[in-house]
Amino acid sequence: MKPSQAVGTIYRLELRSLLRDPRTLLVSIVLPVVLMPLLLIVSNRVERGREAREQARTFKYALVGTDTAFFRDLLADLPGPDAEDADSASAKFERVEVDDPEEALEDRRVDFFVEGMSPEEWRSVLSEDTTRADELEEFNDTPVARVHYRSNRATSNRGSSAIRDRLSGVRRELRDSTLVTAGFPIDPADLAAMDTANVASEREVSGARLGRMLTMFVLLLMVMGGSVMATDTLAGEKERGTLVTLLTTAAARTEIIWAKTLAVVTLAIAIALVQVVNLWVYLGLGLIDVGSGFAASITPATSGILLVLYLPVAALAAGVLLVTSAYAKSYKEAQLFLTPVILGLTLPTLAPFLPEVTLSSAIILVPLANLSIAARDVLVGQANWFAVAVAWVVTGAAAAYAMRLAVGALQDENLVTGADSDRAEFLGGPALFRKRVLRWFVVFWAVKVLIDMNVAFDDLRITALFNVGVVFLAAPMIMIWRFRLDPREALALRAPKPGVWVGVVLGAPAGLIVATLVFQLADLVIPVPRELLENFGQALMPDDIPFWQIVLVLSVIPGIVEELSFRGVLLHGVASRFRPLATCLIVGGIFGFFHFQIFRIPGTALLGVVLAAVTLWSGSIFPAMLWHTLNNALALYLGSTGVELAQDSWLVYAGGVVALALAFRIIWMNRTPYPGLRDGLAEGVDP
Amino acid sequence: MTTPRVRTEGLSKVFYDDGRGEVVAVDHVDIACDGGEILGLLGANGAGKTTTLRMLSTVLAPTHGKAWVMGHEVREEPQDVRLSLGFYSASTALYPKITPRETLAFFARVNRYPADRVAERVEYLVDRFGLGEYADSRVEKLSSGMKQKVSIARTVAHDPPVLIFDEPTVALDVLNAIELRNIIAQLRDDGKAIIFSTHVMSEAEQLCDRIAIIHEGRILATDTLDGLRQATGCHYLEEIFVHYAQPTVTP
Repeated sequence: MKPSQAVGTIYRLELRSLLRDPRTLLVSIVLPVVLMPLLLIVSNRVERGREAREQARTFKYALVGTDTAFFRDLLADLPGPDAEDADSASAKFERVEVDDPEEALEDRRVDFFVEGMSPEEWRSVLSEDTTRADELEEFNDTPVARVHYRSNRATSNRGSSAIRDRLSGVRRELRDSTLVTAGFPIDPADLAAMDTANVASEREVSGARLGRMLTMFVLLLMVMGGSVMATDTLAGEKERGTLVTLLTTAAARTEIIWAKTLAVVTLAIAIALVQVVNLWVYLGLGLIDVGSGFAASITPATSGILLVLYLPVAALAAGVLLVTSAYAKSYKEAQLFLTPVILGLTLPTLAPFLPEVTLSSAIILVPLANLSIAARDVLVGQANWFAVAVAWVVTGAAAAYAMRLAVGALQDENLVTGADSDRAEFLGGPALFRKRVLRWFVVFWAVKVLIDMNVAFDDLRITALFNVGVVFLAAPMIMIWRFRLDPREALALRAPKPGVWVGVVLGAPAGLIVATLVFQLADLVIPVPRELLENFGQALMPDDIPFWQIVLVLSVIPGIVEELSFRGVLLHGVASRFRPLATCLIVGGIFGFFHFQIFRIPGTALLGVVLAAVTLWSGSIFPAMLWHTLNNALALYLGSTGVELAQDSWLVYAGGVVALALAFRIIWMNRTPYPGLRDGLAEGVDP
Repeated sequence: MTTPRVRTEGLSKVFYDDGRGEVVAVDHVDIACDGGEILGLLGANGAGKTTTLRMLSTVLAPTHGKAWVMGHEVREEPQDVRLSLGFYSASTALYPKITPRETLAFFARVNRYPADRVAERVEYLVDRFGLGEYADSRVEKLSSGMKQKVSIARTVAHDPPVLIFDEPTVALDVLNAIELRNIIAQLRDDGKAIIFSTHVMSEAEQLCDRIAIIHEGRILATDTLDGLRQATGCHYLEEIFVHYAQPTVTP
């Protein structure tokens, strides 16, 4: 791929068209340039105003309870609303009398209330809470002040925090004076005095702080501007008819993609630079407070290195955006694909947030994530230049691969000419479903994210039943209704050959072992904090729910209902468009991404691939349902008993792989054709 | 005997359609066209005209058979093929944000016309196609008639020896269609080899030196209008077309 006269000619055309399109300019350059500072200024003003109001605020509180005398004395010296000598950071308090403190807190007549409790009352509170048994044991029968507040209200939060600080201070003074009175030889505050010495320089501190998010920030800026042009340059041209005109010229496909990538990269870098200059200006004006070490971490030399470091980032972002645009049949479709693509691009740039991840780990092989870490190291001033160079080459190679995919898309006749789209649009029904199924699952995924973020129940059983029983059941039913699908065909509701069940019973535990192996391997690239895993395990195993109910809602029902979505309608739609191997990978990958915790994606994606293969081989959804149920039930059983299936033994892992292969062989020998496959009976995934 | 500028041998295209499975769009097509000649590709909608011409212009790859443009095979030397031809169809659009003058310069350059002669070539085309009045207005502001002239001018921007016109008059009014046909005839007189697809019988009668009747992907007959008349005993092209395409139907 050697840049030529055609590359330069197309590149100039792209930029000229961009500069003459006021709408594109407005969306990709003017709006971000104006909008960002505007947002910063407004948010800074709002924040400063809020802080000023908060500082001038007098917190209203009530003192209630059976034992208030002691605390009334303790709080007697609180600065009142008219206190003049209090510095600006000190809070002021006003005590009000209320009959019903809880109602007063609810009605905002008080910001919080302090309940003075007798030792007996507090003992009773502790004894009712089984998780505080240790506190109860050590309790010394003293009065207790309990601060009631509402953490969802900023004022209540801040007021309660201020009163707790105040009470702590008074307690400390009381304790120290009591000790001194009792004859303690020195001032208690001087006992075992402690000091800390932070050996990190200002540059290192600021660099680490900035380095955590700089790559993500720069990438988002690049994508914001670049996506407008990338969408227009292939999907838009396809829609307008200029792409076919261009494809009939002497310019090679590679030259076309080179020129368009360069144009998107130019725009992406230009926007990122403009925004960074913008940012500097507003830093200079003091609208953003980043600490004094910021200037030390971004020297002109560092800025130059970062610019070079971000070239493959811009190229990869441009390449991925162009691939997205090339595979979309219209501008509208390209825009629909953009949200998940941008999310997918941003995800690796969060790598610097992971604790203790360095370029000496396998993350050096993950494009974007590696340069995010490299940028952080450069900012901190502790870069391993060899590792940085390797990271640069890896992301650069990924960018080249993305460009190659875009070139491939220009050679894909269906994508270029939209050969049979009109017919499917006209016919609707099953013909259209095959074309729309992936789009529907993108929307389904987005809906699922929204539901998970906004709908929560205290009871695990209700959460699981809602998720699985309503969400995963509703999605396939809506698709079947909307596209007039035959439920028996769409859900593969056919009886498999009896021998298949043997394979399933053998394959489910073997698959779990292999999934554990995959998790261990993925853990080498992106280590998962153990605490996260423990919390996840505990969330699935609450003590107050009988085990059989947990198995029912987390194994049996998902095993049936999730299969209807993924190995049912999704597989049905995808199987006739792609070859069997690609079908399994697509279905498995999508299944993985529906399990939002990153550490669960590799294992669940593998399970999804296996279940898709089992469905294609058996021609029926029922074996996948049993496999899925057994897999979940076994995982829950092992989790509840604390038994580790493989115990990190490579022998067990190898046995798992062999047993899984044997299970596949058994199912293959008892195969039944899955209708409508492009290559007959899944020859592409013959075990 | 010289080799024709455009030649196909058993050219075929099979599509995979989700609903219908494999669809044979073009079935062993053999055509040839030489300089100073307009070969008409006459067929109904869906007959395989566009697919044939897209294979000749390398947008689509043939499933079977071969095709040569100026001696270059479409699969083996696609870039040389595209360098030798200009492709025009109702669906090939112009870039809206640039002017006709910039459009012509762009297509001349991207098709490797000698850089030092691009400006001269652009002025020649502006003059020849009468674009002077609006040569520096943006394409998006032109009427459809003006755009059509610019489109033809950009098709010949690099002075290719072969021109392909795929149903060029399909979206034009009568006057613009007549003007377009006159320009195509002039280009034939300039010595270009022209393949012109249409489903309008009168157009083929007036313009084409030879006519290839294509139906369901296959070429049923290729000859001059007189030759076709003699072979079928029919006078009008419509009768001749029906004679080949659906012998049981009386026009």
